[in-house]
Amino acid sequence: MIREIGAIDVFYMALAMRWTLVLTLLALAGGSVIGLAVATAGASSRGWLRFGARLYVGAVQGIPLLALLFVFFFGLSVVGFSLPPLVAATVAYSVYAGAFLGEIWRGALIAVPRTQWEAGASIGLSFAEQLRHVIIPQAVRLATPPSVGFLVQLIKNTSLAAVIGFVELTREGQLTSAATFQPFWVYTIVAALYFSLCFPLTRLSRRLERTLRVAR
Amino acid sequence: MSLVELRQVVKRYGTHTVLDQVDLSVEPGEIVAIIGRSGSGKSTMLRCINGLERVQAGEVVVDGVAVHQPGADLRSLRARVGFVFQSYNLFPHLTAEKNITLGPRIVQGVDPARATELARQALRRVGLEEKLQSYADELSGGQQQRVAIARCLAMSPKIMLFDEITSALDPELVGEVLKVLEDMARDGMTMLVVTHEMNFARRVADRVVFMHQGKVWEQGPAEQIFAEPRTDALRQFLSSVLH
Repeated sequence: MIREIGAIDVFYMALAMRWTLVLTLLALAGGSVIGLAVATAGASSRGWLRFGARLYVGAVQGIPLLALLFVFFFGLSVVGFSLPPLVAATVAYSVYAGAFLGEIWRGALIAVPRTQWEAGASIGLSFAEQLRHVIIPQAVRLATPPSVGFLVQLIKNTSLAAVIGFVELTREGQLTSAATFQPFWVYTIVAALYFSLCFPLTRLSRRLERTLRVAR
Repeated sequence: MSLVELRQVVKRYGTHTVLDQVDLSVEPGEIVAIIGRSGSGKSTMLRCINGLERVQAGEVVVDGVAVHQPGADLRSLRARVGFVFQSYNLFPHLTAEKNITLGPRIVQGVDPARATELARQALRRVGLEEKLQSYADELSGGQQQRVAIARCLAMSPKIMLFDEITSALDPELVGEVLKVLEDMARDGMTMLVVTHEMNFARRVADRVVFMHQGKVWEQGPAEQIFAEPRTDALRQFLSSVLH
């Protein structure tokens, strides 16, 4: 049954955006936990920890996100773990975000000059106090613009979850398009909705870049 | 008792010996200038005194603390030993005030209001009281270095170590920093100054130490070191820097 595209369709697509956001936030949370571990291991003085971090980042960055999704959705169900789409997507996107955020944060940690550690030590700060008061505040400033930039990528990439049947913005668009047979208008609306999420973040990232105060 | 006592100190990086059985003692109130070519071990010696570098052999005793021993209480020692770096090393994410109050608050447990007052006093001593709320990137090199000095002063150190603190400055900014050092000298601060400013060494230092090939090669009162060098190495060094 083919029907006209109407306000109700736009409304449903806007509603589906909330699942895009939910998946993004879950992936961001999971990815932050993994990313923090990867960054600390990657900036560690222990060789085997650095090796482990490099291995993880290399593996994940070398696998298409779509393949990760398939592994955690279809792959695991074959061996008996049948995960609901939201759970499978959350795991896959966390693994993915963990590698990229970990790499961004590791870079930020090692970008704070060694002399900043020394300056902290020279006024009597302990290792943990140097981290807390001197290194991390600067690393966070360095990492924020690229992290926000990655967040934009993450939002757009959640559209891939449509292929495992997770109904977020893109999947809702597919359904609407099938019902109305108006793909041009439907996907234009989908694109506009993604844009309304991502563009402000991109602007924010640019603005943060201009207001950094870190040692170079 | 000496405030700083180095006995037979050896520091190596791999097979390269940077400090070769160095002996040095500094009395309270003394101002010692350390001169020598780059690579002669001046900066390394200074960094061994507050434990930024570990020594391989010998003893480093500073204000009663055996710095060379593992587990030495470097935290409380460093609160009493100010260290000023060539590259200032201010914390760029903090204002001048927060740079200065960090040590007193965290290391010495001073309450925030009192710490701010200490910061104000320290900045007044270096002539920058109006820069309390400035960030490093809003200050000139000379001003940054004076804030770095104030950061040490706020902790009421017993001794100050200066590691080529004017070498990164534009020539016209050197004077304002050296003036701060002269004021501190007048106030009786014990100071070890690694420097290439021979005029400053001659004018302000009680004693000049010439380092060469990782050793204390020659030392004595400033006028003697500059007027009557006893070794060829010092004579050559002086003729290359004073012309």
